[in-house]
Amino acid sequence: MTVDVKPADHSWYKRAIIYQVHVRTFLDSNGDGIGDFQGLDQKMDYLQELGVNAVWLMPFFPSPLRDDGYDISDYYSVHSSYGTLEDFKRFLASAHQRRIRVIIEMVLNHTSDQHPWFQESRSSKENPRRDWYVWSDSDTGYPKAGINFRDTELSNWAWDPVSKSYYWHRFFSHQPDLNYDNPAIREEMWNVMKFWLELGVDGFRLDAVPYLVEREGTNCENLPETHAVIKELRRKLDEHFPGKMLLAEANQWPAELRPYFADGDEFHMAFHFPLMPRMFMGVKLEDRKPITEILQQTPEIPQSCQWCLFLRNHDELTLEMLTDMERSYMNDSYAQEKTMRLNLGIRRRLAPLLENDRRRIELMNGMLLSLPGTPSIYYGDEIGMGDNINLGDRNGVRTPMQWTGGWNAGFSVTEPEKLYAPLIQDAVYGYPAVNVTAQNRTEHSLLNWTRRILAVRKSTDVFGCGSIEFLYPANHRILAYVRQLGTETILVVNNLSSAAQAVELDLRRYKGNILIEMFGKNIFPRVVDLPYLLTFGPYQFYWFRLRRI
Amino acid sequence: MKNARAADDSILTDEFLRQLINVGEVDILVGLPTHNNAKTIGPIVATIQAGLLAFFPRDRAAIINADGGSQDGTTELVLNAAIDDVRRGSKISALRTLHVISTQYAASPTRGTALRSILAAGELLRAKTCVVISPESTQVETDWLTKLVRPIYAGEFDLVLPTYSRHRFDGILLTNLLYPMTRALYGLRIREPYALDFAFSGTLGSQFLAQNAWQDETARAGSETYFTLNAIASRARICQSFLGTREHIERRSADLIPALRQTVGALFSSLGPHMALWNASTASQPIPTTGPEREFTLEPLRVNRKRLREMFSTGVAELESVFQAILSPSTLEELRRIARLEETEFRYPAELWVKTIYEFAVAYHKTVISRDHILQALAPLFRGRAFTFLAENRNGSADGVEDNIEALCLEFERGKPYLLELWNGTQ
Repeated sequence: MTVDVKPADHSWYKRAIIYQVHVRTFLDSNGDGIGDFQGLDQKMDYLQELGVNAVWLMPFFPSPLRDDGYDISDYYSVHSSYGTLEDFKRFLASAHQRRIRVIIEMVLNHTSDQHPWFQESRSSKENPRRDWYVWSDSDTGYPKAGINFRDTELSNWAWDPVSKSYYWHRFFSHQPDLNYDNPAIREEMWNVMKFWLELGVDGFRLDAVPYLVEREGTNCENLPETHAVIKELRRKLDEHFPGKMLLAEANQWPAELRPYFADGDEFHMAFHFPLMPRMFMGVKLEDRKPITEILQQTPEIPQSCQWCLFLRNHDELTLEMLTDMERSYMNDSYAQEKTMRLNLGIRRRLAPLLENDRRRIELMNGMLLSLPGTPSIYYGDEIGMGDNINLGDRNGVRTPMQWTGGWNAGFSVTEPEKLYAPLIQDAVYGYPAVNVTAQNRTEHSLLNWTRRILAVRKSTDVFGCGSIEFLYPANHRILAYVRQLGTETILVVNNLSSAAQAVELDLRRYKGNILIEMFGKNIFPRVVDLPYLLTFGPYQFYWFRLRRI
Repeated sequence: MKNARAADDSILTDEFLRQLINVGEVDILVGLPTHNNAKTIGPIVATIQAGLLAFFPRDRAAIINADGGSQDGTTELVLNAAIDDVRRGSKISALRTLHVISTQYAASPTRGTALRSILAAGELLRAKTCVVISPESTQVETDWLTKLVRPIYAGEFDLVLPTYSRHRFDGILLTNLLYPMTRALYGLRIREPYALDFAFSGTLGSQFLAQNAWQDETARAGSETYFTLNAIASRARICQSFLGTREHIERRSADLIPALRQTVGALFSSLGPHMALWNASTASQPIPTTGPEREFTLEPLRVNRKRLREMFSTGVAELESVFQAILSPSTLEELRRIARLEETEFRYPAELWVKTIYEFAVAYHKTVISRDHILQALAPLFRGRAFTFLAENRNGSADGVEDNIEALCLEFERGKPYLLELWNGTQ
């Protein structure tokens, strides 16, 4: 049974606070060492208390799991390790009962090479599904297309010994790309989405959308034909499932991302990839310039659309949207050890990236939650979980959730050796030190602080729906902006520096307003004609509600 | 009022202080002392900006312009070098903000006040390294910054002084007095003791800022020379870095007296406080130098030598009574003798020049007459020496010029006992 959350609220995603989690990582209910839907269901109270109102699930479909589920072999079912379709339905109902929306991953671009479609396609050139994938007799086509996983792949073409021809793949070679020039594929993928929408999911995070269509002479990214595919999906979505949401994963520059919003008739939301590394850079440089610059370059989007912001996710902290100089700085600042680097990114979690500095963790979250967009929080970051860079690929940031300091961190009752991945056990981030139970008991723990800030964020629609205007105080270590929606105005001031700072803000246009600090609700002096002086401790930030009383 | 002072005893205006607060802390501070330098400052500041971006893209940097009241738009040109998020549309790709602050000090454009403002900014910004670039250094290259900053960044030196490729007749005061006398006195072969482009550690800058010398008019006028001498006296680790070509700048005759005040005045003034040091120093030693110690260019240069000799002879005649108070009878007699020589025979020999200078130094120390009059009286004699230097090196090679300078240096070193005798009153 599904329960409507708020049927008429078609822009719910603008007010959402998303929690990203992989079923496998959260809680193992049957003792096999792998998290499952029944386990996730058991922890819905935790998510409700945390204050999130949307859950984004990573792929949970049947898969050989050579790319953590992004290599799907059946779009209409649930991987047996995570439970059954019935388990998923129960979880979905449970989430909706708690007014938590559910966003699921949809990998449109490619399947696993184990998918029956591909098995049929490769079986012979005459097979009806031959044209469901992109085949060629040579490996020279689309030479302008870049290689995404350059640490492991040498080419976007792979030789198939069965059909004795090459197939196209923009990611791993075991992930052949679907052929979106084929109407049958477009129809079939809509059927897949329709299947899950009818079960009640609230939205899709569409993986790797820039790569759907290939054209000779281009880099095969962001092509008009790709936009046409998305427009078609969106039209069907709005027609049959109004209020459902599409979120784009497109690691592109803002100007290239903008077309994915089109006239409000493609994606509802898209991740703002270039902003995220610049937030880290700004804090390290103690200079707001990287952040304000990228937001100055961010184009306006249709009123119905929204950016999705994040600090960390299941992938490496991508540095693709940086210049060489910036990338080099980020690597030297945040990934001194070579093993911390992967592809063009850094495979680390939030707390270790910030040297477990509580002040910086709070500041980064403060910015995440106050800049324009919908925030996405990666599971475990709310308690400051660590990573394990000794695990391959991106598995080091996908370790079991740390619920307690006891057996297997409360994640599973199985033998530790049977866990899908080893627990974090080091002295600083290990589960005996960092876990939900311990932090529940401590009023000022990161977990409780996160609960408080999420509650403040949700106390107003300004952060999700309001406009932004940057102030440019002469002190470049201070990032200040005004968020406004209707008559409500909020001033956000962040100290990016490790040292105490003073700043004078030009707030004359808000003359007569009283500043009310939103956490403690303390009153600050009234704004007058003079520059408004504020002082900050290291990495401190303020959210002020401006009130004219 | 924009430049109102916070307190009467502060050299920092409220506005300047406010801007420094906004800068916070820097790794590199580039000081630009200016006064009506609009003709040259634009490309210089652009080169500094490019140098910072090229060699120190990750470092926190600020350009501090201490301006003596320019009316020609100098400060506006400097301020254009800022890189921040307020000026949009810039094509410059920079990792972080580059601050540029301009402050105007008092009405009179005294270089010492400019340096003091730069030092104060360096201390308040906790600069690791401060670089001073002259607004006349039109041939500044982007790599000047790295040549000046790196030795300090590496923690190996506290003060980096420049060496240049100069025209053989450029800086005659330097080659015939400042360099050889500083070398003879303090035992260090510092080619540019009066440096216009140099770098120092924040620690050394703070130490100099704390000196009482700022109250002294001579020290203020010759602050760069004072700075070098203070560094020597405090046993700072000094090195030289070859920067490249320094363009010859035509000086007016009237510029000589201020130049003597800025350099020779400071050098003479240092003798009293640092007597124990120069008394103890023996033969001179080279100091670590990156690149050549000196290069000379030999292009033809038009110099009115005849006028120099005339001014010498006139000066010797007109300042007879002043010289009687300053010079020994034998020296004065010898000067009278050479003043009577025809131009073709005229020569102001090194030995006599050294003796003259040492007698002036002691007279200055003892203040036998007004110190400023002593420095002014030196001007015609220096012109006579300059005539001789030009004549001796008119057809000389670069090596020949260097040999002559070296010979003069050795003369200064040999004459040092004479200075001590005069100083101690045994002569």
